[in-house]
Amino acid sequence: MKRIVVDPVTRIEGHLRVELKIDEATGKVEDALSSGTAWRGIELILKDRDPRDAWAFVQRICGVCTTVHALASLRSVEDALGIEIPKNANYMRNIMNATQIAQDHLVHFYHLHALDWVSPVEALKADPAATAALQNTVLDKYALPLAGPMDFSFDAYPKDFPKATTAYYKAVQAKVKQIVDSGQLGIFAAHWWDHPDYQLLPPEVHLMAVGHYLNMLDRQRELVGSHVVFGGKNPHPHYIVGGMPCAISMNDMNAPVNSERLAVVDQSIMLAINLVNYFYLPDLLAIGHLYVQKGYVDGGGLAKERVLGYGDFPDEPYSGTSNGDFHKKLLLRCNGVVENFGKGLDAAVYHDLSGKDYADPAIIAEGVEHSWYTYPQAGKDLHPFEGVTDQKYTGPKEGTKTAWKYLDEAGKYSWLKTPKWRGKMAEVGPLARYIIVYTKVKKGVIQPTWAEKMVVDQIEAVSKVLGLPPAVWMPTMVGRTAVRGLEAQLNAYINKYYFDKLIKNIRAGDTTVANTAKWDPAAWPKDAKGVGLHEAPRGALGHWVNIKGGKIANYQAVVPTTWNGCPRDDKAGHGAYEASMIDTKVKVADKPLEILKTIHSFDPCIACATHLYDVAGKEVGVVHTDPYFKV
Amino acid sequence: MDHCHSLWGLFQSRGLSRRSFLKTCAAVAGLLGLPPAMLPEVVAAAEKKTLPPVIWLHGHECTGCDESFIRSQSPLASDVVLTMISLEYSDTLSAAAGEPLEHHLQELMKKYAGQYILAVEGGVPLADEGVHCMVGGRTFLAALKEAAAGAAAIVEYGSCAAWGGIQAAKPNPTKSVAVSDVISGKPIVKVPGCPPIPEVMTAVVMHFALFGQLPPLDGQGRPKQFYGNRIHDTCYRRPFFDAGMFVEKFDDAGAKAGWCLYKVGCRGPVAYNSCGNMRWWNGLSYPIQSGAPCFACGSPNFWDNGPFYERLPDVPLPGTIADADKVGMVAAGVAAAGVVVHGALSAVQKNKQSKQQDTIVRGPEA
Amino acid sequence: MHEGQSKEYYVYSPWLRIFHWLMVGSVVILFATGLYIGNPFFAASRGSEPAFGPLAMNNIRYVHFAAAYVLVFAFILRVYGFAVNKGDRLLPKFWTALYWRGLVDTTLHYLFLRSAHEPYLRNSLARSSYLAVYVLLAVEAITGFAMYTMVNPNGLGAKFFGPVNSLLGGEYTVHIVHHCVAWLIVLFAIVHVYMAIRADFMEREGEVSSMFSGVKFYAHEPADIGDIADDNGTTCPAADRAGHRQHTAQG
Repeated sequence: MKRIVVDPVTRIEGHLRVELKIDEATGKVEDALSSGTAWRGIELILKDRDPRDAWAFVQRICGVCTTVHALASLRSVEDALGIEIPKNANYMRNIMNATQIAQDHLVHFYHLHALDWVSPVEALKADPAATAALQNTVLDKYALPLAGPMDFSFDAYPKDFPKATTAYYKAVQAKVKQIVDSGQLGIFAAHWWDHPDYQLLPPEVHLMAVGHYLNMLDRQRELVGSHVVFGGKNPHPHYIVGGMPCAISMNDMNAPVNSERLAVVDQSIMLAINLVNYFYLPDLLAIGHLYVQKGYVDGGGLAKERVLGYGDFPDEPYSGTSNGDFHKKLLLRCNGVVENFGKGLDAAVYHDLSGKDYADPAIIAEGVEHSWYTYPQAGKDLHPFEGVTDQKYTGPKEGTKTAWKYLDEAGKYSWLKTPKWRGKMAEVGPLARYIIVYTKVKKGVIQPTWAEKMVVDQIEAVSKVLGLPPAVWMPTMVGRTAVRGLEAQLNAYINKYYFDKLIKNIRAGDTTVANTAKWDPAAWPKDAKGVGLHEAPRGALGHWVNIKGGKIANYQAVVPTTWNGCPRDDKAGHGAYEASMIDTKVKVADKPLEILKTIHSFDPCIACATHLYDVAGKEVGVVHTDPYFKV
Repeated sequence: MDHCHSLWGLFQSRGLSRRSFLKTCAAVAGLLGLPPAMLPEVVAAAEKKTLPPVIWLHGHECTGCDESFIRSQSPLASDVVLTMISLEYSDTLSAAAGEPLEHHLQELMKKYAGQYILAVEGGVPLADEGVHCMVGGRTFLAALKEAAAGAAAIVEYGSCAAWGGIQAAKPNPTKSVAVSDVISGKPIVKVPGCPPIPEVMTAVVMHFALFGQLPPLDGQGRPKQFYGNRIHDTCYRRPFFDAGMFVEKFDDAGAKAGWCLYKVGCRGPVAYNSCGNMRWWNGLSYPIQSGAPCFACGSPNFWDNGPFYERLPDVPLPGTIADADKVGMVAAGVAAAGVVVHGALSAVQKNKQSKQQDTIVRGPEA
Repeated sequence: MHEGQSKEYYVYSPWLRIFHWLMVGSVVILFATGLYIGNPFFAASRGSEPAFGPLAMNNIRYVHFAAAYVLVFAFILRVYGFAVNKGDRLLPKFWTALYWRGLVDTTLHYLFLRSAHEPYLRNSLARSSYLAVYVLLAVEAITGFAMYTMVNPNGLGAKFFGPVNSLLGGEYTVHIVHHCVAWLIVLFAIVHVYMAIRADFMEREGEVSSMFSGVKFYAHEPADIGDIADDNGTTCPAADRAGHRQHTAQG
């Protein structure tokens, strides 16, 4: 038995550490712990601030999923104050959301995940001519010709398309060679390039993928056009409570949104469709297929047992979350919990999650058994509305407080709390959303919208390519990564769908983007509570706010990476990261590349998960050694 | 950073021929007592150009600055990380993880001591000895101090590294500070913003690649090229400010017409940044152009200068939402009322005195 | 004191008096325009030709800056008066017992706990408040120039005043300080005008008229007469100086 530490886990957002107990003989992971190792306390900072500013503060929880916390925050404040946003604002926010998901997934695959599969060193062995030929084969064989509704399409031809020429791959290979020869490997330095898994793919796949890594590094920026036009910048575009700040006018020369600006957004949306269809999905399916063929169907963990979602993309403006209207109007109704999907669709059980459920302490609550916090009543989990934070840093099992050797899996070991659904752990994310929608449609719980139908079609198309039923390939490491790619395609078209709705609404004469009836705090109730729900790229995200006397009295967010990366619970078991690592086989104990793959398949966002905690008028109980320090 | 250029590069920059370069290599080989067979290796070594090694550390941050960095149009991110610098350590882009990467960092700091550039993203939490941000099993504070010791220069990317950032907003639960609050004695370039404009981030590297030195800095350590002027002074909506044409509330006629956002709280008048001239997405827009008031996200303490949609801050009076003007008006009213009351009492007192004097006939000093 | 004759004392030089009224004028203009700049509560030129709006922001700002320059350069007069005339130097002398005695005396009087205070050329409270106003005006000038000069960050003015912005932790704070101190000056002005009129009414010493004529009237020798006494120690009522003028206090 060997204990292995990977810290820092790179190519993620934030600070994550994992520790593994590996049986060297069998490669079996006996135990695994994941720890969020940083904590910023943004929710404490939010206390007593203007709720109209909250979105900007929580947006800074994460710059990778840059817009998601802003959106969830706006929804929670609007829910609390009873503000219904105009149609245009709803469409614009949906566009920005879909843009974020498509762009974020693409960057995750090429720049945060790809180097777990492909190696620049292997790429040197490739034949450029064979690589060009391979590119053609991949485009033919692994295209996924599905699409959403498109009312306006001005895209004359694919503006970016994979190059399949020998000369191109020669040039890419020459650059890689120059980097390797220079001895200055830069971002490629010091990795386990000699790991046997890098031999699984032919050298040509490596060269093709390295080429696409560079190509997409420079193209991804062009996908965020909607953020820059509607929100002024990216990362961290601007919003306002009640709608959007970007007024629309076709009568004013200086308007934030006019025909030309809409053209910029359209072009950006169309480029995303191209990049996903011609680069992302074919690359992903080609590599995934090879892995599945070689028997890599592990790393599923909790996904097989329980997944959770909140649902997203309100098709039209809604009057509130707590009153259930939000869930009535969704395009993607992935709200709910599905248990036992790993045992097959027939064995899977669906539980509804909507409306008042989000205010019910029996349904959603957080525990701190293994987190560096204490609760007033030990063992009693708390709903986000009643959350308490009493920080209690206990240090590691071995090492010192400021220099760890091993963390204490029997005690407290993470800045993440442990969120639970009815006292049980659940996985969230693209995979969870797809499992829930698929189950709901297949079991006849819902009549599918076009987007939900596309989800089912995508899953069935991939099942055909892989020759495996969804229950086998989906709840795995490869499945998690593959579904993220499918979701990028879905969102590229959702983007277009809402763009078209926006155009049609403007054409009908509606240019309103903000509901300012309740802009003035004088128009607010004295004491109001609200919930904001959102499906972020990494999974279900909820913000809970309490506004008293025009100021924030309590703010709480339960984020996707807290659901997935949380520490264990003695009753409920392991969180998704830990469960999936335990479900992963490791070939070389000292070089747990498979663990990196599994962790990366979640697209961790630790800043999201750890910078949050509850405030209920309590101060943080830090033991301060600095006498001048004031909380 | 002359050591970053090869001997061959030096010859080229001086306009000398390949022939004279090879001759010099032969002479160097002779001087070193190497056999003629070793000449190709000497030539290869002299040709090899060393890129400036860069270590990019992450503290208390959101990775928005990395994301911004890779959104750069000119130069493109790939050109920066593959040809302008050698990005040897980055939580976000490095292939390696865990111990091998930490080991590589140690080796690098030894090999390039005094030569590497240290880029830092994120604030530095000091509370409880820095346990609120642990990287590789130790505090970020310790990692930062170690890396800073051997750095040729430090770049603080983003408002967190430059000023402390959002986690340093009141009440600053983790007692976070700027990098320059814990590191001194090194040239430090501040590139603030939340995040900074992509092209501003890469342009600092580009400046170094083009001119071999750090860009000229202002009194606070920010590149003058990008932080010299206020957004208000470079804003395309400034003429509407001067003309007194303001957005009164969001989505009104002024908002559609693109008038000045001053009255809905725009911080352009106090924000030093390149949004007004360079803009985002290589010139497409910036918050003001999209109708959103600026937050001055490149300024120190901007998080505590709220509410963002008001010109004046809330005065922390219990149970009220009031700004300085309201408080001033009330104070002036109270003063005026006080004056009236005091005047009336004075008149009464004077009257009484006069009566007393009439009877006693004595001086007022009595 | 209706039965006694008051003596004339020459106190304030013309320089100070001119300064005082320039200050009054410029502060009124600065405050009014400043409030507008801080919150342009009436949109003066909406719908009309922007370039010709008479109350357009750029014109208001122009007036504000012009008035600011008048105030700053008016201080030259104040300093010159200070140099040439003892009566212009009536600032608080914290190191004297008289100052502290006067402070208690005047405060008790204003609280109606003492029916009258001793006669002073300038009582201790007034002296302190005038010094405070000069400090407040200096803060306004420094913060004002810190914002004003940064339009050209490489200019001489910015080199001199620019660091104020970083010293105060950002230009936003500078705006707020400038704004709040303006209100403090207004509060002073309210109390000051009242006190001057009240003094005229209560003490009949020509408090208000002295800012025009430079002369005050006292039935009894002011306690702080030493501040304008000649070097030989004799008092110097205005009558002695003028040589031939005699004046009787109104009663």
